Amino acid sequence: MPTQSPPTAGHIVGQQQLASYLEKALNVGPRNVVLFLQDKMSIEDFTMYGGAFGNKQDSVFPNLEGALRSSASSVVLPAVSWPASNAVIGQLQDQLETSPLYMDPETLSQLRLNASSPALLVFRLPYGIGADLMSAKEVLSGNDEVIGQVLSIMKTQAVPYTAIYTALRPSREAASLSLEAGVGGGRSLLQYRSPYKDRERERERQRRIKEKAGVYGPVEFKENENTCILLWAKGLSVSILRSGNWEDHDLTSSTFGEGASPKLHGSSCDKTKARLVLNYENVLGHRSFKLIFGMSQRYYKVSARRWFTLDIVELEYDGTKATFNGSRNIYAPAEYSYRCELVTSFRWPLLVPRSSKDPSNQWRVTFEDFQIQGFNVTGSDFSYASDCAGFFSPGIWMGLMTSLLMVLVLTYGLHMIMQLRTMDRFDDPKGPAISVPQTE
Amino acid sequence: MLLEWMMNGHAILYTGVTLAFWSTILIVGICYTIFDLGFRFDVAWFLTETSPFMWANLGIGLAISLSVVGAAWGIYITGSSIIGGGVKAPRIKTKNLVSIIFCEAVAIYGIIMAIVISNMAESFSGTTPETIGARNYQAGYSMFGAGLTVGFSNLFCGICVGIVGSGAALADAQNASLFVKILIVEIFGSAIGLFGVIVAILQTSKVKMGD
Repeated sequence: MPTQSPPTAGHIVGQQQLASYLEKALNVGPRNVVLFLQDKMSIEDFTMYGGAFGNKQDSVFPNLEGALRSSASSVVLPAVSWPASNAVIGQLQDQLETSPLYMDPETLSQLRLNASSPALLVFRLPYGIGADLMSAKEVLSGNDEVIGQVLSIMKTQAVPYTAIYTALRPSREAASLSLEAGVGGGRSLLQYRSPYKDRERERERQRRIKEKAGVYGPVEFKENENTCILLWAKGLSVSILRSGNWEDHDLTSSTFGEGASPKLHGSSCDKTKARLVLNYENVLGHRSFKLIFGMSQRYYKVSARRWFTLDIVELEYDGTKATFNGSRNIYAPAEYSYRCELVTSFRWPLLVPRSSKDPSNQWRVTFEDFQIQGFNVTGSDFSYASDCAGFFSPGIWMGLMTSLLMVLVLTYGLHMIMQLRTMDRFDDPKGPAISVPQTE
Repeated sequence: MLLEWMMNGHAILYTGVTLAFWSTILIVGICYTIFDLGFRFDVAWFLTETSPFMWANLGIGLAISLSVVGAAWGIYITGSSIIGGGVKAPRIKTKNLVSIIFCEAVAIYGIIMAIVISNMAESFSGTTPETIGARNYQAGYSMFGAGLTVGFSNLFCGICVGIVGSGAALADAQNASLFVKILIVEIFGSAIGLFGVIVAILQTSKVKMGD
């Protein structure tokens, strides 16, 4: 098998790339595939238990390392995006055109393998739930023994094979961002606990366990081959209030990422107005659902510069329109893009319902790590991002002002004290010292 | 010799403060220019995002504190003169207490205004500039302005009355007939403190804070 180049450090292998690796390996290499599928795995497991710190004798992966060394060629992918590794069985199935056989070492010794016909043998390996250090080590050691048994059986069968060791989901997630968003998504010195926060936190946590890779391109709307509108977000979700409960729907996977091709019918852009329409199906019980961003740009005399504003965010479903107004808070100079950590309609809201009777009062939208540009797009990249969070918050300014005032008062007081002089007119260093008698 | 001049505590303090102030302004200005972030310099944002309570309370604080500084300064100047002059001419003691009372009046104006202004501060339930409303902003700024007005007027009034009173005491010690004429000067000096109080009352007459 030709040696394939390992991915660059820190790069997360996505679904497409994994498919190409597998294709290359299976086109040239043996078409008998032994797949060891563990429940969870991360590169940290190998660092912790693989004797990477000079203690090779403590490594729990002797069979795995032996296999890697003795194989004709091997490649290690340290980081694979979670849905991609999940789909590896499906990909192998497609490429080998055979269905997977779930086995364990006992049944394998009874199987007769043929070098010419492809076979996909899957071994499920456990990881353990809520494992503390000791039991994780034992579990991995047990898995390694299973791997050793299987590979030795394959060797006795003298059939060339390709072995893959992967997992369904990561065992460790990267440190998560804090979404304690403040004013306009910036810092907040004046936080208060809202009753929604705990439920939100639970939902955030569940969401964060999902794909963390988040490296995908923005949604582009092209008019005549030139990109006109760009939109990017790490999370896009809408909720509706039905019979006292908020039901939410996450639109991120159908808008961003590999395999998502959002339909942009109805979008338009010209020099002063831009409108991005994202069409979805089957959202919260509505067959057709549209998320519309309406932006406009114009010249403002007082600041002598062009600014653009996100005027409306509209949800259109079944003929009803729920409109949020964003022009008060979401704006940026026309040459730049607007970016904000959190744009919501309920927590430090940047989007407010257009009126108190508008259907948008029953809805909530949440955009995380939101960046949008509707004008002056060059190429297909965002321009400089004007962030919604400034350098100083209002609280910082208030503190600075009062502190400055007190420093001035202090300076004044110091000045006064420093010009006090003691009387020295009648001092006579050569005369007798003053005596103050103790007694009367 | 330069070293001796620099060794003076005053010089070090004021050079330091001036340097810090101007260098901050310079660096902030340069950063805004280099990064083309001039659009972020927004005075309106500062005025609408800072809480009206900060302005109101600064006004109250300045009203009383500056008045007291003026009164204290005046009393210390007059007091030291009376005590010094009283050594040789004890008869001036009682008459010159009037000057002290004029200085004290300035402090009384200050505390009365501080109490009047602080009674106007009410809580409101708004968090964004739209929900806070123009009236609350006007209240905050008016209270700040009133406090500043009465504070500075009383500060300079107190100093003025103090210095004049000191002169009166010493002149009285020399020649008893001078005192009454000098008292007229002191009365004029005291009137200016009263002007400050009147203007501050006018400024806060339309203040209505709250929902």
